[in-house]
Amino acid sequence: MFVLVLNFFLFRVLPGDPARAGVHDPRLKKDSIEAIRVRFGLDKPVINCFETLNPIKLGSCDINPLDTQFFIYLKNLVTGELGISYHTNRPVATVLAERLWNTVLLIGAGQILSITVGAFFGVFAAWKARTAIDYGALATSLVVWSLPTFWLGIILLFWGSANGLPIGGKATPGMSSAPLMQQWGDIARHMILPTVTYTIVYMGEYMLIMRSSLMDVLSEDYILTAKAKGLGVFQILRDHALKNAMLPLVTIIAINLGFTVAGAIQIETVFSWPGLGGAIFEAVNRRDFPVLQGAFLLIAVTVIVANLIADLTYSYLDPRVHTE
Amino acid sequence: MKQRTFYIIVLAALILAACGGGPAGTGDKVTVRIGWAGSPDTLNPGMAVLAESYTLFELVYDSMYELNLDGTFTLTLAESANLSDDALVWTYKIRDDVKFHDGVPLTAEDIVFSYNLYQSTEDYPWMGSYTGYFETMEATDNNEVVITLSEPIPNIESQLVFLYVLPKHIWENESAVEFENTAMIGSGPFKMVEYKQSEFVQLAANKEHFLTPPKVDEAIFQTFENTDALVQALKTGQMDMITEMPATAVATLEKEANVDIYVGAPFAPTVTDIILNQVSEENCPEGDGVCTGHPALQDRNVRLALAYATDKKQIVDIVLLGNGAPGLTLIPDGLGVWYNDSLKDYEFDLAKAQQILDDAGYKDSDGDGIRNMPDGSRNLTFRVNWPSDSVDGPRLAELLSGMWDKLDIKTELQAMDPDALTAVCCPAFDFDVMLWGWGSDPDPSLLLSVMTTDEIPTGSSETGYSNPEFDALYAQQAVELNFDKRVEIVWKMQEIVHNDVVYIIPYYDPNIQAFRTDRFTGWITDQAKIEFSDPSSLVVIEPVK
Repeated sequence: MFVLVLNFFLFRVLPGDPARAGVHDPRLKKDSIEAIRVRFGLDKPVINCFETLNPIKLGSCDINPLDTQFFIYLKNLVTGELGISYHTNRPVATVLAERLWNTVLLIGAGQILSITVGAFFGVFAAWKARTAIDYGALATSLVVWSLPTFWLGIILLFWGSANGLPIGGKATPGMSSAPLMQQWGDIARHMILPTVTYTIVYMGEYMLIMRSSLMDVLSEDYILTAKAKGLGVFQILRDHALKNAMLPLVTIIAINLGFTVAGAIQIETVFSWPGLGGAIFEAVNRRDFPVLQGAFLLIAVTVIVANLIADLTYSYLDPRVHTE
Repeated sequence: MKQRTFYIIVLAALILAACGGGPAGTGDKVTVRIGWAGSPDTLNPGMAVLAESYTLFELVYDSMYELNLDGTFTLTLAESANLSDDALVWTYKIRDDVKFHDGVPLTAEDIVFSYNLYQSTEDYPWMGSYTGYFETMEATDNNEVVITLSEPIPNIESQLVFLYVLPKHIWENESAVEFENTAMIGSGPFKMVEYKQSEFVQLAANKEHFLTPPKVDEAIFQTFENTDALVQALKTGQMDMITEMPATAVATLEKEANVDIYVGAPFAPTVTDIILNQVSEENCPEGDGVCTGHPALQDRNVRLALAYATDKKQIVDIVLLGNGAPGLTLIPDGLGVWYNDSLKDYEFDLAKAQQILDDAGYKDSDGDGIRNMPDGSRNLTFRVNWPSDSVDGPRLAELLSGMWDKLDIKTELQAMDPDALTAVCCPAFDFDVMLWGWGSDPDPSLLLSVMTTDEIPTGSSETGYSNPEFDALYAQQAVELNFDKRVEIVWKMQEIVHNDVVYIIPYYDPNIQAFRTDRFTGWITDQAKIEFSDPSSLVVIEPVK
């Protein structure tokens, strides 16, 4: 509820009026501006007054509370109506749904790759703690973690385009008539560069977390006991160490998943990937408030859901955390 | 074990990614690939705002007239056009051989339906201003369109040129505002195949077009949100032509052997202007007007001195990296015949500027290093504002600040949110100097109206300039039906505003485009306007043998 309310007022307190944004053209007549305001409901008062909040008057008291922008917003939300984009004149829900799938595809592939690679090197480095391999892995992950995303993206873009990889968009125009397998292959080719960028940037973080939490676990007495029992390296890691060391990693993954739905804004912009991040970036530039409002709601929901999943996973990984 | 399975899956995915696909097999089709930095906002011609949408409309639709790159018009959909003796009734005889892309013939009925739609839909932001003079529109049995005007106007061509003709049989069943028009059935030289917003537009040639069937088979527009990627795509041959290119990329591409770069006015020219708030007290709009402008700017001498102290060449060299030419008045060179190229601009001359200010009595009377008003009261310190979303704004502001500083005039630089800027701009006149811009119509009338006294209270006039002689000439050109005489008046009006230094125009925004010379030939490069994505080029280009 808090998210819903904040989401509404955040965009209403910003200065200016979307109907005036395109005003700098002599062709735009007063009647048209008025028509635009009516269509988007901007002619209605934002909110009526709250008796209890006096003397802070939020709005006029002699209007019907059901005829304010705020109530219309709430009513529309309940019915799943997110409004119409100012910029593209299409329903926000359609725009976001289109973009969300692309983002999930990109982020999904990137996350799986970066978690796998990061966790693998993390385990490896922790096992070989304080050797050249460990220090090498540590230094590499610190470097890649601190690389500016857009910079790395551009570098890969130049490299990729010289090697014939597509550098923009999700698919080659005109592919939609090709067989399905070819279409997928085409999308996969377009995904290579953004996914690699994403993997490199996030892999370092996962590696560092994995390494330090596993090193903690490995210094426990029961690991020593396991070693003394003569168990093999893999068995110790798999049965005794990894599960316990996973907890911090799960937290990070959940947080990252929630936020990266907002998109790897930078990656999507560099590679013109038609995802949510790109949509948000464009909506900010065009002050397309309905799209921003919808996108923020979506992000808020995703963050909450991701955290819920993380909590549930805890209880699976660590039976001491109960869901009661 | 679980992990190992993971690796295998990932590895398999990568192999699939590397082997699968390959560039789309377009077969024997001749496809021209165009990269651009933007994307259309909507395909509904009434609702569209962005230039990218209009680029598509020009390709997919026909209208009564075609706008040529030199600013003239050609009759397209009609065989003949006749004007009645009282100059109020236009009769257009429509061609019989025009067909929409779905095979349905285009008739006078469709044209009248479209014009009515544009006129009656209030939500269409711009169309209302083009149909304002139309009193009645009728389709006769003889396949003629008869338009009756409310008053004689000299520029019916520019009123009709953006009124794209829509198929009545499709649009009559749709909501004028909400219809997304993704199938985009038109009658123009290209037809819509597939549209993915913010991704690409795929067009096929309409080889049956009655006037200009394209020589290529297909045209694809692909969006690159990142301009480095855009330039790289041309360099590596993924694209054949790119438009909306940043000036910073010119140096990189100049070194490429197979790439030619052209700079010229865009299809819809835009002007960057330095607005000097000169609204007088008696013209301050009642109610809306705040009118806090610096009084010195109402003096032509000060504006003239600022003009002399503004080194436009340096501005072009730094802001546009040399890709452009200094501007003159609000009427851009891209308007062709309407542009008065006989005017002589104020040469950059600091000594002369200082002399003008000294003679007019603007001396530093309190010794703080800043000039004062002749009566010794206020310092000549100007607020300079520009929209915060402008890329060139900060550079231009810094340059001006440095140049005017040499005149002992101080500036306070401040970027503002475009809405906030609109709020202080006009009709409030709560500013001194603003850096902004105008988009221009093919007809000069709209941009000239911006400087008339009538537009001060409406918010269209940003300078508050008022000159009865100019107003009279404006009214005169609006009814002058003789083309040559009207050009003469329009030229005279430019001379007046240039003499009065209403604006300082640093430059007209250039359109920088580049194409690969090893793919297609025939791009039209010898006009004032350079617009390779216009039908004029796209219907004539041919693959390099």
